[in-house]
Amino acid sequence: MALSADDVRGIADYARIALSPEELEAMTAYLNDTIAILDPILQYDLEGVEPTYHPIGDLANVMRDDAEAPGLAIDAALGNAGSTRGRSFRVPSILGDGGAA
Amino acid sequence: MTSFDTLTAAQIAAGVADGTFSATEVARAALDAIQARESSVQAFLQVTPELALEHARKVDAARAAGEKLGCLAGVPVAVKDNMNLAGTRTTCASLMLENYESPYTATCVQRLVDAGAVPVGKTNMDEFAFGSSTESSAFHRTNNPWDTERVPGGSSGGSAAAVAAGEVPITLGSDTGGSIRQPASLCGVVGLKPTYGAVSRYGVVAFGSSLDQVGPFARTVEDAALAMNALVAGGRDPLDSTSQDCPVDFVEHLNDPVEGMRVGYIPGLMEAEGLTPEVREAMARAKAAFEAQGAELVEIELPHMDAAIAAYYVIGPAEAFSNLARFDGVRYGYQEKDCSTLAEQSALSRAHGFGSEAKRRQMLGAYLLSSGVYDQYYFAAQQVRTLITRDYTRAFERCDVILMPASPRTAFRFGEISDPTQMYLSDVFTVSLNIVGNGGVSVPLGLGSESGLPVSAQLVGPAFSDRRLLTFARALEREAGTVNVVAPDFAGKGGELA
Repeated sequence: MALSADDVRGIADYARIALSPEELEAMTAYLNDTIAILDPILQYDLEGVEPTYHPIGDLANVMRDDAEAPGLAIDAALGNAGSTRGRSFRVPSILGDGGAA
Repeated sequence: MTSFDTLTAAQIAAGVADGTFSATEVARAALDAIQARESSVQAFLQVTPELALEHARKVDAARAAGEKLGCLAGVPVAVKDNMNLAGTRTTCASLMLENYESPYTATCVQRLVDAGAVPVGKTNMDEFAFGSSTESSAFHRTNNPWDTERVPGGSSGGSAAAVAAGEVPITLGSDTGGSIRQPASLCGVVGLKPTYGAVSRYGVVAFGSSLDQVGPFARTVEDAALAMNALVAGGRDPLDSTSQDCPVDFVEHLNDPVEGMRVGYIPGLMEAEGLTPEVREAMARAKAAFEAQGAELVEIELPHMDAAIAAYYVIGPAEAFSNLARFDGVRYGYQEKDCSTLAEQSALSRAHGFGSEAKRRQMLGAYLLSSGVYDQYYFAAQQVRTLITRDYTRAFERCDVILMPASPRTAFRFGEISDPTQMYLSDVFTVSLNIVGNGGVSVPLGLGSESGLPVSAQLVGPAFSDRRLLTFARALEREAGTVNVVAPDFAGKGGELA
């Protein structure tokens, strides 16, 4: 079933991407066109086929010794942020009604 | 006087080592060549003369001190702008990261530098590597050096064009669905996607984490092999959990004969939609070249190839959506000001920071990972991945390498493919390799008889057989005579070495 503009508005909300009304219309058409080219994967009998999530099948967690090692300095870590305060990233209210950052 | 672009990386490294010229002289020649050619090619997003000369001086000082020089001593290189290099911005060709300063250097870039390479800049790309033409760069287009009215391919279009125009002998690109092999094909240069895990991705901005791999562009197979030697030196990178040890010398067996080896090909693939006559001719020439060198041609099948595009356009966008969630305007990237809530700041920062294709891919990924849809598409795509992997495993029981096109057509005009889904379908010959993880290389085969544009062949090997893959590539290059070819409108322009 084709996605409606309302469906796409919901996806945009989930993806945290604000879309203008024009973008919403174009995005709805795009998603419906693209989902159509995904059809071939629905055509195979996949009963009992194990999924492969990764090209390296026997990949194991890589652990290092619990030893102190140099990391990113605070200045470097904060250097690309749009808004900082002291040693922290500064953000607007996470619950709303908190004023601008 | 020698024009810098007539030298391969191997020749430059040898010349620097024996004192024929200094690394500083080579760096100046490369910067001159870039200055003379860049207005027509536009391959770079940043050129870094000070950084280049600083590194070149270090190489010269090491030689003067009698130190052993690395395999890329004094070789000018450029890297795709999704790779961090301290002292440069890493923009991913996006307004989102327009002012992002690299806080450290990616392992792949550091390993080139450790081998003596001299970084001269960062190359243009499709925004966040979403595209096949470099047209989605937020900053400017890159022109194909063979015809500046045509695209260089993508997403690593700047890296391919810089090598084809003779601006540098080696560049790095990243390949998530063909982003090294397809632009290499359209620009007439060698482009290698190594096996997944062969090259560290630490410090490379992630697109599809189970698909991404870094690899070199060069004008000769030998130079690509030299770059690989530098990239795998030092073994597994503890900073990338997918990094694997590849303790091989890629140059050592490059000129081994391919006599008696089996080259697989898929007869039905020649009927693929959109495959142009010139690409068919190129495949016939590649087959003839292998036969002339005593290789045996073997018919093989990859029965689930027709599902590869669909599986890729599920897995790729899903992983991209997950990876690009980090760009929320807080820790780095474009930040919308004067928002009252964090959610509003994220949604507006992402709306204004990302271009159209980056939004489309993330929206598709968000949809595919949403409740109810996940099982139908994402889980099925990973099952199809199993089927395609089995196909390749069976095929490699019958052959040592597989021959197929890298791109269904030669370079197209700007704007010629404006429908995103049509652009996706042009990835038909490259995406299956990212799904299974094996290595693949695009090898130039000269020019199409009608268009006069570069044509190529793609060779695909079993996992972690990239050294042998390059031996096959060298055999093809030898027969085709496509060694160190610079696009004619650019050859010899600026960049003289005394």
